[in-house]
Amino acid sequence: MFSQITVYARYALLLLLLVPVTVGVIGVVFPALGYFPALGEHSFSFRIFVELLNVQHIGQMIWLSLFSGVGSTILASFITFLLLAHCYQSSLLNKIQALLSPMLVLPHAAAAIALLFVLSPSGLVARFIGTITDSAMPSTTVGLFPYDEWGLSVLLVLVIKEVPFILLMALSVMAQPNNKQKLEGYQRAGTALGYSAPSTFFKLILPSIYTQIKLPILAVLVFATSNVEIPLLIGLNNPSTLSVAILHWFNHVDLSMRLLGSAASILQGVVCVLAIVVFFTVERMISWWGRRQLSTGRRNFFNRTVALLGTCTFGIYAFLIAGVVYTVVSYSFAEHWVFPRLFPEALTLLHWKTAFSAIGQPLLNTLLLGLATSVSSVVLVLLTLESEVLVPATRKAAALFSFSLFLPLLVPGVAFLYGLVWFQQLLSVHSLGFHTYIAHMVYVLPYVYLSLAVSYQRFDNRYVMVAQSLGKSPFQVFWYVKLPALLNSVLVAWALGLAISFSQYLPTMLASGGAIPTVTTEAVASVSGSSVRLTAVYAVIQAVMPLLGFVIAWTLPKLITLNRERRRTHNRKSKRISSHMSRKERLEKKVVHHGR
Amino acid sequence: MAVDTGAKEKRILSLQHLQVEKEGKPLVKVNTQVNGQSVLTIMGPSGCGKTTLLNAISGQLAAPFTFTGDISINGRSVIALEPYKRNIGIMFQDALLFEHMSVKENIAFAMPPKLHSTKQAQSQAIDTMLQEVSLEGFGDRGIEALSGGQQARVSLLRTLAAEPDVVLLDEPFSKLDASLRSQIRTWTFEQIKQRNIPAVLVTHDIEDANAAGGEIIELMPC
Amino acid sequence: MRRGLLTWFSWAFICLTVNAEVLSTPSPSQNNVSNVDTTVSPTVRFHAWGGSAQVNGYIRWLAKQLAQKHNIALQHVKLADTSDAVARVLAEKAAGNSSEGSVDLIWINGENFATMKKHGLLAPNWVDELPSFSLTSPHENPAMTTDFGEPTLGMEAPWGKASMVFYIRQTHFQQAALAPPTNLEEILAFTQQSPGRFTYPTPSDYLGISFLKYALLKLNPQHRDLFYQPVTEQALSKTLPSLWAFLDALHPNMWRQGKMMVRQASELQRLMGSGELSMAFSFTAAEIPSAVERFDLPTDIRTYAMKDGSLANVHFIGLTFNSPNKQAAKDVVNFMLSPQAQAEKQKLTVWGDDTVLDMRRLSEAQKRMFDEPLSHPSALDKSVAVPLLGEPHASWTDALRDAWYSRFGARY
Repeated sequence: MFSQITVYARYALLLLLLVPVTVGVIGVVFPALGYFPALGEHSFSFRIFVELLNVQHIGQMIWLSLFSGVGSTILASFITFLLLAHCYQSSLLNKIQALLSPMLVLPHAAAAIALLFVLSPSGLVARFIGTITDSAMPSTTVGLFPYDEWGLSVLLVLVIKEVPFILLMALSVMAQPNNKQKLEGYQRAGTALGYSAPSTFFKLILPSIYTQIKLPILAVLVFATSNVEIPLLIGLNNPSTLSVAILHWFNHVDLSMRLLGSAASILQGVVCVLAIVVFFTVERMISWWGRRQLSTGRRNFFNRTVALLGTCTFGIYAFLIAGVVYTVVSYSFAEHWVFPRLFPEALTLLHWKTAFSAIGQPLLNTLLLGLATSVSSVVLVLLTLESEVLVPATRKAAALFSFSLFLPLLVPGVAFLYGLVWFQQLLSVHSLGFHTYIAHMVYVLPYVYLSLAVSYQRFDNRYVMVAQSLGKSPFQVFWYVKLPALLNSVLVAWALGLAISFSQYLPTMLASGGAIPTVTTEAVASVSGSSVRLTAVYAVIQAVMPLLGFVIAWTLPKLITLNRERRRTHNRKSKRISSHMSRKERLEKKVVHHGR
Repeated sequence: MAVDTGAKEKRILSLQHLQVEKEGKPLVKVNTQVNGQSVLTIMGPSGCGKTTLLNAISGQLAAPFTFTGDISINGRSVIALEPYKRNIGIMFQDALLFEHMSVKENIAFAMPPKLHSTKQAQSQAIDTMLQEVSLEGFGDRGIEALSGGQQARVSLLRTLAAEPDVVLLDEPFSKLDASLRSQIRTWTFEQIKQRNIPAVLVTHDIEDANAAGGEIIELMPC
Repeated sequence: MRRGLLTWFSWAFICLTVNAEVLSTPSPSQNNVSNVDTTVSPTVRFHAWGGSAQVNGYIRWLAKQLAQKHNIALQHVKLADTSDAVARVLAEKAAGNSSEGSVDLIWINGENFATMKKHGLLAPNWVDELPSFSLTSPHENPAMTTDFGEPTLGMEAPWGKASMVFYIRQTHFQQAALAPPTNLEEILAFTQQSPGRFTYPTPSDYLGISFLKYALLKLNPQHRDLFYQPVTEQALSKTLPSLWAFLDALHPNMWRQGKMMVRQASELQRLMGSGELSMAFSFTAAEIPSAVERFDLPTDIRTYAMKDGSLANVHFIGLTFNSPNKQAAKDVVNFMLSPQAQAEKQKLTVWGDDTVLDMRRLSEAQKRMFDEPLSHPSALDKSVAVPLLGEPHASWTDALRDAWYSRFGARY
């Protein structure tokens, strides 16, 4: 029976991944082709696309999306590999991992807001410079972060956000058991052949693991090309990237703009494909060049450059994170804080009070949505993973499953969310909570799955075999043997799902029509508001919430172990007491026997 | 002794009062010299410091092991050098051939830079090497296609193509089938002696030690 | 063991359904109001821009009063952009939803009203039913029934008044040894002397289009009559050239050289607060001292109106055609028009938005509620008389905006 349940869970997971995206894409394809009965359009034609291609600056919009997307991914990959090459053999690796992991779960909107606080013309860096140069007014130079017309600001923020992700993906691939041994061997062989650590990394380790991290990098690429929050907050708006234009077109009061928006969603999909093509081309060129380098025998492959850039990157990240934390927290408590002072004139709790008086509902919504999505996805994923072990799928089914797993990550949100919402409205106008839940699940499930699948693979199957040989049913094996051993990983996956749900902006806005405010939607709304201090408070809350999940994931197993130890010591004590008694009795017997 | 003017210079690996310690307690003690025509064999049961000694020589000793004494190659001490700069080749139990490169690329990878002026010359040199170990025509094959014995031979060629000053052998024949073992063993020692490279062999197989034909140091059971 | 599994699953299932329940129907218990009879009181969803802490605070006060006295739960749905809600109602109408709308009341004026009127998204002829509406003297005061020249047809009730004021960073001007500009030409001169410290929002924002209208009116004094009639191609060709000349001279010296323009008026205030701008403008004079009190603006801010005239308008509350709570919504608006609510709104410490009520219609006791004892160094000096410029005909808004976009930038 348990096996049957797990199979149902697998189907449910598959549906949850496939249906919303497919339906969503259909929901934009039809209007894009001119079919929108509500507006009186009944004929299929390509005129919307023609109109789209004639929009002023459309070429620039496409270019901005491509540039910031492809550019940031290539740069981020390059920086990640550089960092890895520099410290993968040293103790620095743990420090980097610890430093960058929190950045991973920071919502994109929060990251953009946080960087604005540090890098804008009135931000921390500018204040440093202003204090030194003694200027009383922020610089007016055009081309600085943010809002520059070449898209570099967007690219910068994207790179900063992507490097931790790619780094941690690469590290988890390198730590997989079937990889770990091989890579350690390569390391030793490379060193024995006279290659320095960075050279060994670039020539031996990277080629071996690259195919395995390609898919996450592609997901990053698609995200970077089609992301809405970051260009919305940091980018130029005249013209903006294509994704922001789509957002505005769909929100436009003129309903016919929706058709344009639908066509643009399709175009965005095409742009993402184009981005992938460009990325692959660049990758081909680099690997062709790299292949030739393999046989040259050069031992010192950019040693000093790597060391320099690696240290610089680490330093820059450390500075940025410290700067962000200082500035954002200070602003949230600041009274007046005139440029170019480095400290606020005084502190107050006013802004926190203001935020808290308004944050009750959004916070509750965020927590409920987060818990619902993270708990249900962990349950679904666990059951699905079990089903793969108990009832292995055919090759075709397995391929379909992998495909649908990556579908939400590879199809841009702007391309299918609008269609999904239209479909959800057709189904039911009321259950906005359920609609938002589904929209979140689409994004939470893949990450939770990927996170848990790794631990599942690593699990030593011999434990299962032993348990089975002891006569335990599949469910008993799952519940009593696997789950306790995997508790850490399950909690981490749960915290990850929670963090992802917390960070959703577009799905929440669209699926609920703004009726379900969350901390993230409030934060983004506050950026276009007038109070920097309130935004700072929201940014702090946004940053802290995902961390809480991970804190729970980290402490709960320890508490459970502690509890178990306590119970065991108690048992041991009571056993000792009872054996003590019998020894005493024996002594008494002896005494009696010897007549003393 | 007549000196062959075309011969390579005299190569010596010198281990002077080299003592490897674990948490302060001495584990292995060696004081000897190895020249280019001989192979030093270290024997003993597993877990008693054979591999640790090799790690000390190659510079990859990790905590809780430390060492005292000096290691010098051709008169120059190497203990201050980083592992990858010591020019000490290692042959492991596993062939550890790089799967993303062909046989030829694996060997070319090991060659010192600019040893051959053109790619053609390099390719020819590699072909010659492969011929010497009866692997003609294997240059463009992928690694997965090779058998265990073939991989061992390519691995040997690769180690030697780097033109190391010293070669360390960490039980390199133990994973081979018995039928292959003696042939590979012979080839290995032949190639090493031909290049006049001092070698240190670690093994628990007495036949390996006999084939090496050099000084044998037996470690105490710990 | 099977029992364990069953309880685990049923607990999870219950959790999920309860969550869906709580999230799907905005029950009154979710509101900021606590002492409400949850079985009886209707919920009115008021979609209003949420970017101002003062406005949000005032709406919370309204909600409290309504809950205590009228047993109505008012839910403020905060919008980043009012057009989001307009698009929502449009989508609902397109989907055939004519009685279960998610929007009850909406804070609009100008273009948003024109769109909603055009698509029939607002309930018509309900404003006259409200007792409080008569206190605005609608028959003597056409501004109460005209929104940017468009007759409201009883679709929206007036809520507050606004006139354009400018505010500056006094220390910036002192440092640069410049006098604050008092008319349009002086604004241009200021940007030339101190480039990069002034900007205006894109015309999709009402403050942005208002600046353009102000400039248009002031640059074409000889064509004044044309502005109060529907726009024509001829009128445009007569009046626009001077505006383009002015803007062409202004843009290169604006913030970010005019290459980046803020989309919302509130961003102007943010940029003033951070010091990137030295001068900005607003329609709500009272929000400036409030912002200073909240530390969002520094203490050296000074507010004043341009000597050559101040553009003025009224903002409204609309009732959607498909609201399921029309009666409750009307009660809410009636309360919003009451002297008590209007006086609270006008308080500098709350919002400071001018009342739409006609003081002559109020009793002495009611008039006293509007007395404002405070004066703030950053507040507008209301004793200084300023000429008011009436809003041009609504058709000018679209025409001007289209012309601006076709000349200066992509339209979203």
